[in-house]
Amino acid sequence: MTVSTEVRNRTAGGIGESPVRPDGTFKVTGQFAYSSDLWMDGMLWGATLRSPHPRARITSIDVGPALKLAGVSAVLTHDDVPGEKVYGLEIADQPVLAFDEVRYQGEPVVIVAADHPETARRAAALVVVDYEVVEPVTDPREAVGHPDWKPVHDEPGERTAMSRDRAPVHPHGNIVRHQRIRFGDPDAVTADVVVQGDYEVGMQDQAFLGPESGLAVPADDGGVDLYVATQWLHVDRRQMSGALALPEEKIRLTLAGVGGAFGAREDLSMQVHACMLALRTGRPVKMVYSREESFFGHVHRHPALMRYEHGADRDGRLVYVRAHILLDGGAYTSSTPAVVGNASTLGVGPYDVPNVGMDCWGVYTNNPPCGAMRGFGAVQAAFGYESQMDKLAAAVGLSPVEIRTLNAVSEGSILPTGQRIDSPAPVAELMHRLDAMPLPGSVDQDIRLLPGGVSNTTHGEGVRRGVGYAVGIKNVGFSEGFDDYSTARVRIELVGDEPSVLVHTAAVEVGQGLVTVQAQIARSELGVERVTVAAADTQVGSGGSTSASRQTYVTGGAVRAGCAAVRSSLFERAAARYGPGEFRLVAGKVESLVDGVVGDIASLLLDGPVEHTVQWRHRPTQPLDEATGRGNAHVQWAFCAHRAVVDVDVELGLIRVVELACVQDVGKAMNPDAVLGQIHGGSAQGLGLAVMEEVQVVDGKLRNPSFTDYLMPTIMDMPPMRVEVLELADPHSPYGLRGVGEPPTISSTPAIVAAVRAASGVDLKRVPIRPEHLVAAALCH
Amino acid sequence: MTIRVTMTVNGEPLTADDVWEGESLLHVLRERLGLPGSKNACEQGECGSCTVLLGGEVVCACLVGAGQAEGADIVTVEGLGDGEQLATIQQTFVAAGAVQCGFCTPGLLITAFDLLNRDPDPSDATIREALAGNLCRCTGYEKILDAVRLAAERAR
Amino acid sequence: MRPFQFVRADDAATAVQTVTANPKAKFLAGGTNLVDLMKLGVERPDLLVDLTRLPFDSVDVEADGTVRIGTNVRNSDLAAHPAVRNGLPLLSQALLAGASGQLRNMATVGGNLLQRTRCVYFQDVTKPCNKRQPGSGCPARQGDHRNLAILGASEACIATHPSDMAVALAALDARVAVSGPDGDRETPLAELHALPGEHPEQETTLRHGELITGIAVPPLAYAERSAYRKVRDRASYAFAVASVAAALDVEDGVVRDVRLAFGAVAPKPWRAHAAEDALRGRPATAASFRAAAEAELAAAEPLRDNAFKVPLITNVVVRTLSDLAGETS
Repeated sequence: MTVSTEVRNRTAGGIGESPVRPDGTFKVTGQFAYSSDLWMDGMLWGATLRSPHPRARITSIDVGPALKLAGVSAVLTHDDVPGEKVYGLEIADQPVLAFDEVRYQGEPVVIVAADHPETARRAAALVVVDYEVVEPVTDPREAVGHPDWKPVHDEPGERTAMSRDRAPVHPHGNIVRHQRIRFGDPDAVTADVVVQGDYEVGMQDQAFLGPESGLAVPADDGGVDLYVATQWLHVDRRQMSGALALPEEKIRLTLAGVGGAFGAREDLSMQVHACMLALRTGRPVKMVYSREESFFGHVHRHPALMRYEHGADRDGRLVYVRAHILLDGGAYTSSTPAVVGNASTLGVGPYDVPNVGMDCWGVYTNNPPCGAMRGFGAVQAAFGYESQMDKLAAAVGLSPVEIRTLNAVSEGSILPTGQRIDSPAPVAELMHRLDAMPLPGSVDQDIRLLPGGVSNTTHGEGVRRGVGYAVGIKNVGFSEGFDDYSTARVRIELVGDEPSVLVHTAAVEVGQGLVTVQAQIARSELGVERVTVAAADTQVGSGGSTSASRQTYVTGGAVRAGCAAVRSSLFERAAARYGPGEFRLVAGKVESLVDGVVGDIASLLLDGPVEHTVQWRHRPTQPLDEATGRGNAHVQWAFCAHRAVVDVDVELGLIRVVELACVQDVGKAMNPDAVLGQIHGGSAQGLGLAVMEEVQVVDGKLRNPSFTDYLMPTIMDMPPMRVEVLELADPHSPYGLRGVGEPPTISSTPAIVAAVRAASGVDLKRVPIRPEHLVAAALCH
Repeated sequence: MTIRVTMTVNGEPLTADDVWEGESLLHVLRERLGLPGSKNACEQGECGSCTVLLGGEVVCACLVGAGQAEGADIVTVEGLGDGEQLATIQQTFVAAGAVQCGFCTPGLLITAFDLLNRDPDPSDATIREALAGNLCRCTGYEKILDAVRLAAERAR
Repeated sequence: MRPFQFVRADDAATAVQTVTANPKAKFLAGGTNLVDLMKLGVERPDLLVDLTRLPFDSVDVEADGTVRIGTNVRNSDLAAHPAVRNGLPLLSQALLAGASGQLRNMATVGGNLLQRTRCVYFQDVTKPCNKRQPGSGCPARQGDHRNLAILGASEACIATHPSDMAVALAALDARVAVSGPDGDRETPLAELHALPGEHPEQETTLRHGELITGIAVPPLAYAERSAYRKVRDRASYAFAVASVAAALDVEDGVVRDVRLAFGAVAPKPWRAHAAEDALRGRPATAASFRAAAEAELAAAEPLRDNAFKVPLITNVVVRTLSDLAGETS
């Protein structure tokens, strides 16, 4: 044999490498079919009429004028919803189409199908809805218990199969969930050094670029096929089944190309609507939201009001943390219970704190519904606790790095929930590594890279530099007792004369590279380089959600388990063919551990293909005690730290982030390039929250539902990044890997704000920072 | 009230009939001419996902009226390669990992292609300024910069 | 979007005639603003007359130094034209500070001048707005006005004009060439845009059917020592929060002459005459520049959330003029 040992010992394109994306060529040639690209002969276009009011009673709906418009095929209201009129991820309380009352501006009221998208939009505008406007609840403080609070919901939503047992819903109130954490003796304890602060996080939008869209096709069996961009096919189907009054097997979902997600596709948008229109008209119906509609059509990141008090000894060692966190969930439940769970259990950050008293509320208001967004719950709390750590550092005379390393958790630490961290928690190491990284050079010579960018505002005069640090913690996977699993079907067969593997899951690729990593796992496990990842659909069991940084862990675990089952079958064939023994599969060969290469994998497949479908779940978690927050609620934690270097032109209120440095422990870098992609992209979203991104809501109404007015970072705003990746294996996870996607979004925001504080001397309490926060404060100096 | 629009797209003369006056060039390309590569993400020229070359200049196809495109010479992402082989900038976007969800990619490719035609050796600041009209939500732009640098290098 | 007819104009006279004849007709140029507003339902024309094939697409420098710019010259081409890039830096910089490369390739001179305000109430047809629907009211004073006017506003309207280019042209005393049903005329740019008063719906002094065919920028001896500076909420591709166009003539440390205009703080490009008057003959120092800005802003009527624009624009003025003074000394 001329094949070298290196090649024989490894199958190319396996885990730990960075093979190119299988969909890359399609995406750079325009051939990749996103959900908004679908087209079918005879298809109709759907449109949605939405409530202009944040809160109103519907007194009448007249669809007559819309039906008369030429080209219109159907105009449907809540009366036409075949099944249950409400749906929801955890609690079914959101109307498919509004009945009786609308609870947020943009709530869907009527849907239309017509032969041209413009005709459908015009028809929707012709529908006459009479509203009796009701004063909305728009201040979460009022919602949570101010004497004048007004209930948004008169009745609680119904619990569904996905309801978390510990997610209480007030029978007649606005509190979605109130989670208490009581650890040690938080009420009685005192400390030598005490710092307090109030902090506020604005409402962020996921702002994926590919708008909500899909194509529903009525089927001969009375069911419907839906091609859609989503994050979780099976939970979409469960909710659709209720609303459409169809058994789940008659609703077949296939994943269409997804133009980003970041949490915004976890809740339903157009899925039920398009299917209702398709079933009613008997024709395929395509719905594509405009950007404006997209802002109304998905949940946002919960805005937060936070009050923190940190007590420490004179050396800076934490004695206690007391905190109140108030999260505005908007009109419907969505994933607010989980966001409260994350914010409360992770609310003191990755620090050892002997006494913790925390109250976290998620409340209903008539503001836009809020739910999942990258780092949900952990992002908001991190802005609070990291601001506090800097304050504490200043109070005791330590540096930002010193205060964090002094108090850092490590493997074996007990969290405020009583749960022990039972895998590496290298928080101090992250800080030390950040500290050791070289700092960027002085003020940039190219004025386009100074504060103000291409706006020509400074040539360096008035610019002050600042450096800030932050570290964050995020739970990976679904917590609090949720049965979190994924399913993989793995098949190996000869195609031509070559062994070829098919991996089929329902897990959703949203751009992060899951399709690549699934194939990498199959290559490494089965020793076969030709791997195809089938389109995700509901023909296979649930893959769980593409959220909570969980897919490589959970679906990766399922694919590995599926491959292991296939491999066992192949080893049985190998034993029959070559005699009993221990085998392994590498680079297309069957190796006996004793005799070396004994044959080709291909020869084992002459008897036919091998296929197995397996379900795989991570170790179980427990619910939290409602009164104390006790419970082993999380399966895994991920840690990430940032150092931000900023130049600030205080007189003009302009900020340029000069560099972001990041260190993250990923356990095992399954695909190092994709890991970097997640760290870059996640950090950019954190930067956006720090310095520009906010969905502005005034009196319950969105003020900036467009990319002209909702600003997110351009390539001019995003600095170069310096990234170090640690691989400290988690003994409980497949390959030792940790979820990667969310952590970088968590620590970049507080690091940037800390840097701006350092540069400007302004005590910033709110994100996003805007020019007026700096200009106005500078005046007072 | 409809019009006929004839234009040259990726070197090929194409005609769309029954075009409603309010349709954009983007809609005509995507829905009438079978060229969905240019993406519709904001419909108001604020994201660059629909960037095409019109008469050799980058524009947002979502804001060009169908009627205004009559007789125009258009290049879309579908026309960057030669059918057999990807253009250099397409190759480097894949190789550098500049593609995640890919929705911004067609517009970015056109803008970067245009930049490198005008300036084969751009500085980082020049790349940033040229691509500032194309939003990407996945990558943090770092690998997009790598892809453009790599394409410039390969062309040398 | 409402249905409408589309015609392409082959000559200016026909274009003017066609629009004059139909009260619901509009001219269409680059489309970057009008098409967007049509999608929002703010603009609802019956007929669009496409101007893009009209021959107003050249930049000419006349013997006396006047720069004549055809209305169809694209913003990107204008910014790059040697007469503008070298001779009128403030105009070139203002153009390049606007929008993105893609939009600058589409946007025209006339269209840029006639951009509509970004006020959220104007853009949202479900809200009252005196400009869009006279007499319906203005929620901005009590509501969201962070981006709105501190100068020149009225009870009825506090919208700002969004153009960068127009601010530079205001500083340059540009004139606007107009073709209308009664023939051609020329008007100072300063008189093109109207202050809102009780009629914010009357944004310009153009009559229906009048077409901007170009602008003329008269020579200014010290125009090469000029700059446009813009503060916005991100590093590129966003409307101004506050901006300044300035040209400065300093001799022996004393301001001999100055041109100053503000953007994003008033319903029109705001020529700061009071500041200019306060500065002529004064020493070219930061203190003088600050005093001049304060003289102009004495008339400011800031509101709760846009009060920061007063110190902000002051700081931009001081920064810009200090920089120009440094260049000339």
